[in-house]
Amino acid sequence: MHQDKNVERRTVLKAAGASLAVAGLGATATACGGGSGSGDGTVTIRYAWWGAEDRAERIKKTIALFEKKYPKIKVKTDFQVYPDFWKKFNTQASGGNPPDVFQNAIGFLRKYDAKNVLLDLNAQVEAGNLSLDGFRAGLEKFGEVDGKLLGVPVGSNSMALVIDKPVYTKSGVKPEQGWTWDDFDAAMKKIRDKAGRAGDSGMYGVMYLYDLYLRQNGKAFFTEDGLGFTEADLKEWWTKAEKGIKQGIYADPKKVAQTKPKSAVAAELAAGEFTWDNFTVRYTSEGKSEYGLAPIPTTDGKKTGQYLGSLMLSASKRTQHPKEVAQFINFMVHEPEVAKIMGYDRGVPATQAQYDAFKPTDPVNKAIAEYEESLVAAGVLEPITPHPNGADICEAGFMRIAEELALGKRSVDDAVKQFFTESKTALGS
Amino acid sequence: MGTAVTHAPAMEDLTQDSEPRHRPAKSPRPAALKRRGRRETLAGYLFMSPWIAGFLLLTAGPMVASLYFAFTDYNLFDAPQWIGLDNFSEMFADPRWQNSVKVTLWYVAVGTPIKLIAALGVALLLAQKRRGQAFYRAAFYAPSLIGASVSIAIVWKAIFSDDAVVDRTQKLFGIDVGGWTGDPDLIIYSLVALTVWQFGAPMVIFLAGLKQVPRELYEAAEVDGAGTFRRFWNITLPMISPVLFFNVLLETIHSFQIFSSAYIVGGGAGGNACGPADGSMVYTCYLYVQGFENSRMGLASAMAWVLLVAVALVTAVLFWSQKRWVHYEEGA
Repeated sequence: MHQDKNVERRTVLKAAGASLAVAGLGATATACGGGSGSGDGTVTIRYAWWGAEDRAERIKKTIALFEKKYPKIKVKTDFQVYPDFWKKFNTQASGGNPPDVFQNAIGFLRKYDAKNVLLDLNAQVEAGNLSLDGFRAGLEKFGEVDGKLLGVPVGSNSMALVIDKPVYTKSGVKPEQGWTWDDFDAAMKKIRDKAGRAGDSGMYGVMYLYDLYLRQNGKAFFTEDGLGFTEADLKEWWTKAEKGIKQGIYADPKKVAQTKPKSAVAAELAAGEFTWDNFTVRYTSEGKSEYGLAPIPTTDGKKTGQYLGSLMLSASKRTQHPKEVAQFINFMVHEPEVAKIMGYDRGVPATQAQYDAFKPTDPVNKAIAEYEESLVAAGVLEPITPHPNGADICEAGFMRIAEELALGKRSVDDAVKQFFTESKTALGS
Repeated sequence: MGTAVTHAPAMEDLTQDSEPRHRPAKSPRPAALKRRGRRETLAGYLFMSPWIAGFLLLTAGPMVASLYFAFTDYNLFDAPQWIGLDNFSEMFADPRWQNSVKVTLWYVAVGTPIKLIAALGVALLLAQKRRGQAFYRAAFYAPSLIGASVSIAIVWKAIFSDDAVVDRTQKLFGIDVGGWTGDPDLIIYSLVALTVWQFGAPMVIFLAGLKQVPRELYEAAEVDGAGTFRRFWNITLPMISPVLFFNVLLETIHSFQIFSSAYIVGGGAGGNACGPADGSMVYTCYLYVQGFENSRMGLASAMAWVLLVAVALVTAVLFWSQKRWVHYEEGA
């Protein structure tokens, strides 16, 4: 009996070994099939972006169009929400396996260029696979870093003051191009007193607004390799914040934190918020009121310090198919049909052809178009602030530390010191 | 498991075929026995090989690597640069790191005792002979089966966020503090509540311990006129102290390692990695932020080793302390 068992065990072993071998073979076979090229010349490229379900739906439709025009290129897609996107991308890129083409923003260009992840698309422009003609407002230069073309803009946004229109009207506040910070402060008090609501959701933590304020005063948030302002500058900015919270002209920071991810404006905690102009779309779907766009206050009555920001498409340096990737980007930025599908989802389209192809009919998107046109007409747009390697970490730190200050967890001095310490580490200076 | 089932018929065939060939003519001699022993050892290792490979490749290897990274500046992309103890000195001087230590210690010191007291209390109730005890035991145990999962953390966040169940209920009682998960001071309580809710695992261990206490002791104490509390304090507690020690040890170590619940309940909204104003930024969360958000794997590795040493020290202290309060039955 005992021996029988042993024999059985040995045969079991053999069987197990055999199945392991089969499994191993199977694995090899699938590994071979995993390559992106195949016999008939069809190539597969991977495309990743951040955004919500709505954006994914639109993008899938544009990809279907692309695959119809380029039947030999297949596009595999992947998307996450913004913070998760960069975690996944970072992991993939460090493992040498980033997507071939992906959504990008200016804050990440130098970061991933320093890490040798981004493909210089200039070669593809020269080869005729990617055209830089027909971009609006010099946008084709936005993805350029040290002469390398690291990203191609798909759309443009600018900072704006998104407001709850009925509350502004009720308080008798009419923001106009060229209004000053003193006008703005007076308006905030008026809104607090007449509408019983805080005028602003927490401008002190919005890095891109502070950048505009600094630019109005001849500085900027970043230089090419560091911060463009001093501890004294930030101390002034955040001292004003502390005072504003106490006076009730900025929304109760605790309530704002608790209501997240819903925005403070949509939650009726504040009458306005400084953010990118296309956020009105989001607020309209979140809140009950009617939302509009107001100009950025100025220091001297003229200069807003504004510039166009933009989402871009970048390619991976490790892609096996640079030509196909360039054709893909080219299609996505120039094809008019794509603009009809995407609308203003990623900002106002970057090329004139796409801009002309989509004319919004709903009031929210119409207002965005009008706002961007008004900026061009007012002549306030200037070149964008450089974003050094580590800019993304500085922005996150700025927002977090400002919130800690607002919540009373830090004094102004402590907050300023903490921000400068963290930024120094992030910017490697 | 699946493979074994699929191959079962084939195995039977093989067994029948090969049986006559492999059956030795005589009873095996010592040399043959030895050979077979060696072969069996080999077979044993072969069967263990998936686990051994996993351990070496997925646990031991990365641990050795992280020990090396702890002394380097490593951003995942460039080759690690040896910087000696810089990671450690930076860590100790970092106010965010200090805050994460504070939050974690608070969580361990508050959450673990409450959880164990709840577990012991319910175990005492469930140890009594009543109808339907099996059902109650299962019901109380259930949360600890699912409690550590990501989905429960998401549900927890939904329960404790603004204008959700907890917020509305407390408003009924006139308490207007808003959602806990968005409040830097309250969020940690929602995490404590989550861990306490999972008291089922230590409860089952307590139950087993309670069953081991000889009834004669209680009977003798009752004859001597000892009340309920007296019996609990002088008989139950000393008798289950080994089990209590085991639970304290396990739960303490476990609490130090809290990550997914803190990351999910506190994460998501507006760039906060772990709670507003770092309110639930426990140690492992900050480790994650440094490693994966700030791409500072060297620093993150150093943090991981500091945590390991700290937990080892706490464990050593607990072991040292058991001389004073844990009673092992003589000859048991």
